[in-house]
Amino acid sequence: MVEGVNAHIWSGRAVFFAVLCVTIFVQLVPFGHEPTIWAAPDVMLAITLAWVARRPDLAPFYIIVGLFLLTDLLFQRPPGLWALLVLLLTEFLRTRASAIRNMPLMLEWGTVAVGIVSIIVANRIILAIVMSPQAPLGLTLIQMLTTIAIYPVVLAVVHFAFGISRPAPGAVDRLGRKL
Amino acid sequence: MAKNRDNEDFIGPIRRLLVGVCILLLSGIFLVWRIDSPRVERFRAAVVDRVVPSFDWAMAPVTGVANLVTDFRSYNQLAAQNNDLRRELQQMKAWKEAALQLEQENARLLDLNNVRLDPQLTYVTGVVITDSGSPFRQSVLLNVGARDGIIDGWPAMDGIGLVGRISGVGQSTSRVILLTDTSSRIPVTIQPSGQKAILAGDNTLNPPVDFIENPDLVRPGDRVVTSGDGGVFPADLLVGQVALGTDRRLRTRLSADYGRLEFLRVLRARPHEVINDPGGLLAPSPQFIGPLPKTAEVSSDQSDG
Repeated sequence: MVEGVNAHIWSGRAVFFAVLCVTIFVQLVPFGHEPTIWAAPDVMLAITLAWVARRPDLAPFYIIVGLFLLTDLLFQRPPGLWALLVLLLTEFLRTRASAIRNMPLMLEWGTVAVGIVSIIVANRIILAIVMSPQAPLGLTLIQMLTTIAIYPVVLAVVHFAFGISRPAPGAVDRLGRKL
Repeated sequence: MAKNRDNEDFIGPIRRLLVGVCILLLSGIFLVWRIDSPRVERFRAAVVDRVVPSFDWAMAPVTGVANLVTDFRSYNQLAAQNNDLRRELQQMKAWKEAALQLEQENARLLDLNNVRLDPQLTYVTGVVITDSGSPFRQSVLLNVGARDGIIDGWPAMDGIGLVGRISGVGQSTSRVILLTDTSSRIPVTIQPSGQKAILAGDNTLNPPVDFIENPDLVRPGDRVVTSGDGGVFPADLLVGQVALGTDRRLRTRLSADYGRLEFLRVLRARPHEVINDPGGLLAPSPQFIGPLPKTAEVSSDQSDG
């Protein structure tokens, strides 16, 4: 019985890990090298937040830390900072997961949007404090807006493709504990 | 509810401790990067060197399919493009005649002067594996690295123009910072006026030309070549043409085709010679002037001085 529960949780975590890996991979594919005037949304962040808001138990912090640190290194960002901010945001959402579950969608979206805005602002402030070169402000704003805009889409995809949705009130796992 | 579960199992405190350790670790990494950037950048190069080539087997088909789609889309525009090309070909023929005549004249003049072009500018060709993966950074990763003798700072070109410079070398990969990246600064000369300027990337396709001594002498259409100032690059590599942007700034239309970076040539640039001699002619050391008595003494004198 216990093994069954564990297997269920671990397979859910493996799916989370795989989805993030695929996102990294897609971002690395050399499509075009021309600078664009708009920035594509940070899909990886949106997916992570969707997972944490819906099923925090399937999105453990070590996967988030490891993969975001890896992308910091791969995508030429200051290493550690973005991973740190994402970790703080996910931990914040995780402690409020039970509250988020009872919110209407718009409110959940708003909470996540405030979180995204605050970590992007914090990122810029910290980089300004340590006097490190920054990405152009316009691109950052565009990316922030597109990331917020794509969040419901990610929720829908995650819901229909991977079955990650809010546990119904009173839903229990196989051990009989409340989810 | 979260509290209930924490009480139920004893994972809660341990997990909180681990998260705290992670937070400290990440801030530590960031601070170390800020304090001792070169070492962390070397570590980053090593990580990229390990991770990205392992994607390579999957990257090839995906890139192939993506290129197929773009190619297919471009068939729609082929007819129009064909007409344009024909028209341009007509003009090019006239230019070709002129160029041939100039080439012959040039060859004659070079012959007259006994000029030898720099034989040390050889190149290593690399294939582009990935781009930077972020809209804020303009760089590509090549599949040649320290193993192939690549050194930081060497220029990379496609067939025509300068593309960027090597910045970060792993064992089998190296990163090319493109001219369009915000951190790219290249000393250039604008021909024919000979004005020195800095080509400063700003994350747009046409990077602006900054610090021109006399902008009045520069006109759109002028050629932009590297100047070799500061020993950064070899001189006279073609970069592009000056163009006037919509914001009335002088920008550069790059010659390299940034839409299709597949193969890049990394030029083996030799470091410029530095003159360390304080000027022996101005202040000659007191020495015996006249026919040299013995070679051995002279060499010992020199080593003393």
